Amino acid sequence: MTLSADERARYQRHISLPQIGRSGQERLKAARMLLVGTGGLGCPAALYLAAAGVGTLGLVDFDRVEISNLQRQVLFVSGDLGRLKVEAARERLLALNPDITVRTHALTLRAENVCEIVGGYDIVLDGSDRLSTRYLVNDACVLLGRPLVTAAIHRFEGQAMTYLPGQGPCYRCLFPHVQEGAAGSCAEAGVLGVLPGVLGAIQACEAVKIATGIGTPLISRLLCYDALDLTFTELPVSRRPECRVCGEHPDISAPENSGGLCNTEALVSARRLSAAALRGLIAAGPTLVLVDVREPREFAAWHLDGARNIPLGELERRLAEIAGEGSPVFLCRSGQRSLAACAIALRAGISSPGHLEGGLLSWAAQSDASFEVPLD
Amino acid sequence: MSCKVHIPSPLRSYTDGAHRVPAEGATLAEVLSSLEARFAGIRFRVVDEQSRIRPHIRFYVNSREVSELSAPVGSGDTVHVICALSGG
Repeated sequence: MTLSADERARYQRHISLPQIGRSGQERLKAARMLLVGTGGLGCPAALYLAAAGVGTLGLVDFDRVEISNLQRQVLFVSGDLGRLKVEAARERLLALNPDITVRTHALTLRAENVCEIVGGYDIVLDGSDRLSTRYLVNDACVLLGRPLVTAAIHRFEGQAMTYLPGQGPCYRCLFPHVQEGAAGSCAEAGVLGVLPGVLGAIQACEAVKIATGIGTPLISRLLCYDALDLTFTELPVSRRPECRVCGEHPDISAPENSGGLCNTEALVSARRLSAAALRGLIAAGPTLVLVDVREPREFAAWHLDGARNIPLGELERRLAEIAGEGSPVFLCRSGQRSLAACAIALRAGISSPGHLEGGLLSWAAQSDASFEVPLD
Repeated sequence: MSCKVHIPSPLRSYTDGAHRVPAEGATLAEVLSSLEARFAGIRFRVVDEQSRIRPHIRFYVNSREVSELSAPVGSGDTVHVICALSGG
């Protein structure tokens, strides 16, 4: 794939590098890279990859731009509020580099579509904020033989690792199974805005190295970055022979929606209550077991009358506190943690757990306009 | 024997935000007991009822991964507790 005169001028600083040169830049132009998640990690990664002249970028995100995104999601501007992230991102990336192609996938990755989407790209960068998506993307990359650069963040800490087919451990080797709610997410815990900039840039750098065939990739090593200390710690990671997808006797031959996680089950079995339905239950009597699974700090800021606080991370060992009292209703900010709480309760044999769909945000919108849910 | 334990971000609510805390013990199990004595509840977040390391947690002594709670910990060692992060 040859470069035009304009492209040779644009990428002159790359072409000057003997490790990249014109042929490396042509490899970048021919490369197709998929960014899963156009959030804190995906935004800076996409900016650098577009600037670097990666010929085709794919963006996966079903979400719309919210004001709390703008603290770290550097592709978006205030005027983008309410727009589909992938559309706003595409516009910004093409403004930066009109020579590239940006494909948008405004959808949720699922077992049914992940292979088709991942299969259309050469390298995948995972910056999603859902564990179930991380496993789906990992499994698709292993099964389709695609390199995967994964990163994740929480408060002031980030992690990154690269998977190259057949050459090192995959994400399942690193963490064989993660129960939804066990790992911290940004919406629940907050995140330093600059942090995903560091990790997203590392992901982009890894992807450029893989596409051009230079340097040593971050394989078999987990990079841990602590922004408060400014320390980078590298820890070795080995392939697990018993890994379910890349091990010696894999039992995953196609991506699975559940990914061994719990929320799919809960989606089917849990009672999903609207704010109005919950208001009705509260009015019906004082016996309702209302459990707020947010962190104590969030709970202290505001909670529904009669709710008790059991943070999601402690729920499993504290289930005895609510067992035998009737069917509990779980609450959280947006409805994700409460769904995970339903799954934990179902697994423990508690019948008909319910949760407030859309969380206290939906309660605020539909039932109590005076209530402002504390942000993150 | 005393060591330092690096606490991962999702578990710092147990340590009042501290990311590195001192602990005592000659094995990983003893180090975890020492942590539990100071920060009640933290042990259960990293090992389950059967004292198995949870699958979203990894332990390293200095930079060597350890997969058994009986693994030795030496004086002055740093124990890294690594937890899966899901934020993007």
